[in-house]
Amino acid sequence: MPDFPTSRPVLAGKSARHGKGITLEALPEGHVLQVMGATTSADLRALLDSAGLTGSALRPAGYRQWYAVGDTPLDAQALQAIVTALPPGTYLSDQSHGRVRIRLSGTRATELLSKGTAVDLHDSAFSVGHTATTLFGHISVHLSRTGETEFELTVLRSFAEALYSELEELAA
Amino acid sequence: MASLITCPHCGQRPKEEFTIKGDASLTRPAPDAGPDVWYDYVYLRSNPKGLHKEYWHHSSGCRRWLIVERDTVTHKVHSVTDAALTKLGGAA
Ligand SMILES: [Zn+2]
Repeated sequence: MPDFPTSRPVLAGKSARHGKGITLEALPEGHVLQVMGATTSADLRALLDSAGLTGSALRPAGYRQWYAVGDTPLDAQALQAIVTALPPGTYLSDQSHGRVRIRLSGTRATELLSKGTAVDLHDSAFSVGHTATTLFGHISVHLSRTGETEFELTVLRSFAEALYSELEELAA
Repeated sequence: MASLITCPHCGQRPKEEFTIKGDASLTRPAPDAGPDVWYDYVYLRSNPKGLHKEYWHHSSGCRRWLIVERDTVTHKVHSVTDAALTKLGGAA
């Protein structure tokens, strides 16, 4: 009998849900890097690109805060390369194990999200590429608009199941 | 109570996203200022009707400390600024 719990994606037991105008799916637990400090989106983008993370999305998360996210896990060496390349006064916290991404898409996506967050999601106020750190009900989430009718929610791992269940409920 | 606060970093958000710390107009006394002055600073608040200047933390948003000036009679929010940037003159 193994002494240690085996590592598994926290939403592994949840199947993707396809409802009327709504698709809900857990994204692969790849990498979520939280960056804080005196730098800019453009500089961080260039840094990620030169580290080979051209496929990773860079998302603002508040004053001098960002998340760099992607579907592939990073090994310690790749992570260290990014940390080393950061300018002075900029810090990275690997949240790959600590935060989980959920994708919500479909024509009813904004309608569903409006039930949980007060952020104005109208196209004119929250266009593609916009992000917000906010509350969904009582759960803190980082919300990104990744397409016309496509959103991503990044949530603390221990809240992921609760949030996913709530989204399933609201999608019904 | 003012129910919508416009965070300088995040835009208009509901008050549920924030945590209120208290009076932002107090000045911390010198360490040797004496017990009466310290007692006043730590415990005594006047709670005026009208204009208040407070520290608000955008705890469920950008996690920055803000200074909110609001009126408890009219519920009008007069200003919201980033506490650290205001103190440092925007040089943080
Ligand atoms: Zn904020």
